[in-house]
Amino acid sequence: MPAETEVNGNLRGTERGAPAVREASLLRRMAAHKTLYLLFIPVLLYYALVRYWPIGMAWIVAFKDLQLGAGVWQSEWVGLDNFRVMFTDPQLVKVLRNTVEISLLRLAVGFVPPIILAIMFHDLASNRFKKWTQTIVYIPHFFSWVIVFGIVFALFSTGSGFVNNMLEWFGLPRKEFFLDQDWFRPLLVGSAVWKEIGWGTIIYLAALASVDTQLYEAAAMDGAGPLRRVYHITLPSLVPVIIFLVCLNLGTILYAGGEQILLFYNQAVLDTADVVDTWIYRESLARLQFSIGTAMGLFQSFVGMLLVLATNAASKKYTGRGIW
Amino acid sequence: MYAYASRSERAYQIFIHTAVALVALSALFPLVYVVGMSLTSQSEMIARDYFVIVPQEPTLEAYKRIFASPLVWQSIGMSVLRSTLGPLLTLALTTVGAFVLSRKTLPGRGPLLFLVLFTILFHGGLIPSYLVMKQLHLIDSFWALIVPMLVDSFGLLVIKIFIENLPDGLMESARIDGAGEIALLTRIVVPMAAPALAAIGMFSIVNHWNSWFDALIYLNDKQLYPLQMVLRNMLTVDSMANDQMNFILKDTQRVSSETIKMATVVVGILPIMCVYPFLQKHFIKGMYLGAVKG
Repeated sequence: MPAETEVNGNLRGTERGAPAVREASLLRRMAAHKTLYLLFIPVLLYYALVRYWPIGMAWIVAFKDLQLGAGVWQSEWVGLDNFRVMFTDPQLVKVLRNTVEISLLRLAVGFVPPIILAIMFHDLASNRFKKWTQTIVYIPHFFSWVIVFGIVFALFSTGSGFVNNMLEWFGLPRKEFFLDQDWFRPLLVGSAVWKEIGWGTIIYLAALASVDTQLYEAAAMDGAGPLRRVYHITLPSLVPVIIFLVCLNLGTILYAGGEQILLFYNQAVLDTADVVDTWIYRESLARLQFSIGTAMGLFQSFVGMLLVLATNAASKKYTGRGIW
Repeated sequence: MYAYASRSERAYQIFIHTAVALVALSALFPLVYVVGMSLTSQSEMIARDYFVIVPQEPTLEAYKRIFASPLVWQSIGMSVLRSTLGPLLTLALTTVGAFVLSRKTLPGRGPLLFLVLFTILFHGGLIPSYLVMKQLHLIDSFWALIVPMLVDSFGLLVIKIFIENLPDGLMESARIDGAGEIALLTRIVVPMAAPALAAIGMFSIVNHWNSWFDALIYLNDKQLYPLQMVLRNMLTVDSMANDQMNFILKDTQRVSSETIKMATVVVGILPIMCVYPFLQKHFIKGMYLGAVKG
């Protein structure tokens, strides 16, 4: 369990000697920290039971045909069958495609608005106005997706929805937004932008807070207008944060916001709405396809990890800044 | 900020003030609409063809109906319980974990840290987690809502960095005065790291208050449902059919199902709005901390 390298690194000459001596000193040093180890036991227990046991379980169940009645150990090994089903079943391939499409749509539509809003916040001359509007636009972030769905329902439902009332007022026909394949994704991504646009500005504002204000004054002296200052000072100082966030977002490409979709979708829009997370929930827990659901989840997690590692390495190479 | 108020500066300021005001309005308007609808009687709905922003004769009928349901009260109790007990436990475990891992002399610190970090990158997924919860006999138990969220890995790292950045002399002098590990933790680390802990605690409270998916997968017993899960059922189960039906029938009850739904949303929003002023202060501090240090 203890790291040999760290022990060696910490020896610093005084305890140099035969391995037996080293061993004893390690034990001594561990004994000196026994209160800390005791304190850490509950945390360790949490990670073992809640985090690592499921990971171990995933690697087993994904290669078995799990029958609940038989239990995990008695169920039969099936090798790569679950993965074969995953990549050949047209329904599953469609689900994977939906997931990537919705993720990229979220990234394409949702990424820029917080940046623009943050720049505007940063440039607002009136501090009190800034404080008030910031307070307001952060609010939706704290609502659950259930509440956000309720709000979207209030705006877009067929009977009493604000938008449909407006349509009728303008003499246009009412629309069943929730049952319309073409409207599902715009509703989904639009409501996500509504929820997170304000909150998304915080990280950019933190980055902008460290920009030297003298830069702006100097630029203004040199006759740079407001837009030139945004382009030449504000935007460049946001680039590292932007790259950092793109890395993080790419890592979640196979997670398209299943919790939100689970609330928003219905049978009528299943074709465009079904993603990995919703599929796993529906098929596994309702139709007891545990093994394929597990294989799917494992694939999801694996791809996510590889993407984070890859984008992080790329970001470090090209910008000198990574997640760690 | 800029003392150089040329015409283009003024035009720019007017533009961004207007744009930001519009964004703030679009954040607020849906809430106003929801509240207005929740207070509208059925007769007024029909009279005004379901287009009401400010009701002329506001009624609390929908709220009366919602709060007449024992299930709603029960679920509020569950939500309050999980949002107090859960964050307390999370904060305790997360702080202890951060404290231990902040000690650079601890043998095995590297591997333990990796153990925590790895779970941010990789997890088993929904089904294995469900199967483990089943093996632990936590399905259909209140603890199914608490145990999975016991440690916040990201928060642990933030607090760990916070503790590492505390001045060294502080711990040293306490140790010379004979303070043990527990005293160090409770007398020095907890008070000094209070702002970071408050932020993590707030995150945990909101997380617990807003969670419903864990109830959906781990609980069958309606008695254990938290508020969000009950709201979810009122809002989505057959919502399309209801919506259609109401549109066609426009039945003559005193409140419509729309009004009930909107009142439901308000019930879900109110607690968050009440604690929001406190939340905001801590969150922003915590976020800045995370953004600057992370």
